[in-house]
Amino acid sequence: MKRARSGGDEEAPRQNGTAGGRRGEQQQQSDGDNGGCDFGPADLQDDDNDPGLRREIRSKYRDLINSVQQNREDMLSPSNNKLTEVLEEANKLFKDVRQAREAALDAQLLVVATDLGKEKATQLFAEGNTFDPTAFAEHLLSFMGLNRLEDGEDEQQNGDVVDGYLPKDAWHRLARRAECCFRTAPSFHYMMGSFHAEPPPPKQRIERQRKAPSKEAKRIMPTQLKKMEDSQQEATEKEVERILGYLKSYYQDDPTSPISYYEFVIDPSSFSRTVENIFHTSFLIRDGLARMYLDNAKLPCIAPVEEGEVEAGGSQSRKQCIVSFSPKIWKELIDAFDITDTMIHPPNTQTE
Amino acid sequence: MTQRKRLSNTQSSTQNREEDDDTTFTQPSTSQVQRGLEKVTPAQVDQKTAEVVQYFLVKDQKKMPVRRADIVKHVVKEYRNIYPEIMKRAAHTFDQVFGLKLVEIDAKSHTYILINKLETTDGASPISSPANPKMGLLFVILSVIFMKEGVVKENVIWNTLKKLRVDPGKKHEDFGDVKKVVTDEFVRQRYLEYVRIPHTEPVEHEFRWGQRAEIEVSKARILEFMGELHGLEPQSWSQQYREAHPASNTQPGTSSQR
Repeated sequence: MKRARSGGDEEAPRQNGTAGGRRGEQQQQSDGDNGGCDFGPADLQDDDNDPGLRREIRSKYRDLINSVQQNREDMLSPSNNKLTEVLEEANKLFKDVRQAREAALDAQLLVVATDLGKEKATQLFAEGNTFDPTAFAEHLLSFMGLNRLEDGEDEQQNGDVVDGYLPKDAWHRLARRAECCFRTAPSFHYMMGSFHAEPPPPKQRIERQRKAPSKEAKRIMPTQLKKMEDSQQEATEKEVERILGYLKSYYQDDPTSPISYYEFVIDPSSFSRTVENIFHTSFLIRDGLARMYLDNAKLPCIAPVEEGEVEAGGSQSRKQCIVSFSPKIWKELIDAFDITDTMIHPPNTQTE
Repeated sequence: MTQRKRLSNTQSSTQNREEDDDTTFTQPSTSQVQRGLEKVTPAQVDQKTAEVVQYFLVKDQKKMPVRRADIVKHVVKEYRNIYPEIMKRAAHTFDQVFGLKLVEIDAKSHTYILINKLETTDGASPISSPANPKMGLLFVILSVIFMKEGVVKENVIWNTLKKLRVDPGKKHEDFGDVKKVVTDEFVRQRYLEYVRIPHTEPVEHEFRWGQRAEIEVSKARILEFMGELHGLEPQSWSQQYREAHPASNTQPGTSSQR
């Protein structure tokens, strides 16, 4: 084993002895030329204190350490001598080492290098083939379908990676092949999907849908909304009450004069309102609040039932009457009775 | 009751809390179970068994292990005195109905996973179901660890992945945050162990196979595929071969892993 340093006690006295001994434990012969620079005493004095040179040395050491750590796999590979080269570089640097800081870096490099060296040695002793992750990666890339590009690609990501592109399903391909290595339980999922506890999004959608139709309804006709109201039960009851009010007031105006039923319910301007009036009036009859009778001319008349005479629907003998009505009949009646105005005014003054 | 209070205060399943929860539940003895069974109808036991089975199946979707404490707290509840009987029946159901095996991977913290009872086919499956690319990633990591005799410094993994265009520092198309998937998701699923090496500065970790991998992954199959890739016979890696085929191994002192 060559000694790392060529003579001279002036050189790095503090790092004496041990460094030389360590160097001697290298696995391979270092052919590095150590006889490179010969310093004279005068030069040494300057270099000792030159901060620029110190920094440079430390920086180079750090580079070496990094290169060993980053390229660990490459260096492990028995196919190259990269580790040796690193050690040779370190040897060269060591000659310039003067201060503790640099020597510490040298020591750190040695730790890293010997660690690697130990692993390389283990490889030599391992039975059968050693496993090289780099080669493994290469084989995997081929398996995954890497298209290696040939001829002068100017840009390469880094020197070690073969340029080329992996297909989109590269990892799927690998996963499929590797599936058989796993005894994974298949995942259980409900066929119709599982309950997903997130109400907010669907609710918003529903609200928007509801808003749209109602806006349109407003645009068409306000009276249509009125109709919606009428169809509700309270509206019916209100209407019935209102009609009762009309009936009573007309009756009180002239109790002796019979109110013609047709005159009462017909609205000459609207067939549908007439039908509604018939509908509401029928409630009054049903509840015993009004009574219908035939007058001398056999025409139907309607009158409110006196307060005292009001009886619950059951006791009176039930008589049912079906009113058949059509627009034709309606018109005929209007002509026959000469009805010009409605006796029951619609709830709002707006006419349809 | 303090017992209930402690259970209801626990939140996520961090490693630290696991033992706390578990100490509040002591496995009932056989005689206690017998007495407990006398007090319930068979229909009730069946119902609870079915609920445990369902709980497992849903939890297994993410491949996260299930803790005994959670089963007791969320499913078994007041039937905890017959817990062993319920688990026994649930395991039987998995075995007979689903072809799955209920395995306790950690006897200390009482964690369970489900694995497939059936043997896998050689090579790729004939059923063309969509493959999860993460399995490919996991395979690479597990293979490297196995071929390197069970323990590997994290840099080895990161460097290997980089060669496959998977950089833990960058977002990957298929995997997203690679570092998180590898050091967090796979670890929580118990496929990997990511352990800090003491006295390292800067902090370094090493990777090992996790408890789930030990029972779910076939070393023999990995070696088969390895052989295919390298164009070699699996026996070329004699040490790994012996580990993958313990039955045929006559030498003493080798691991008795699956």
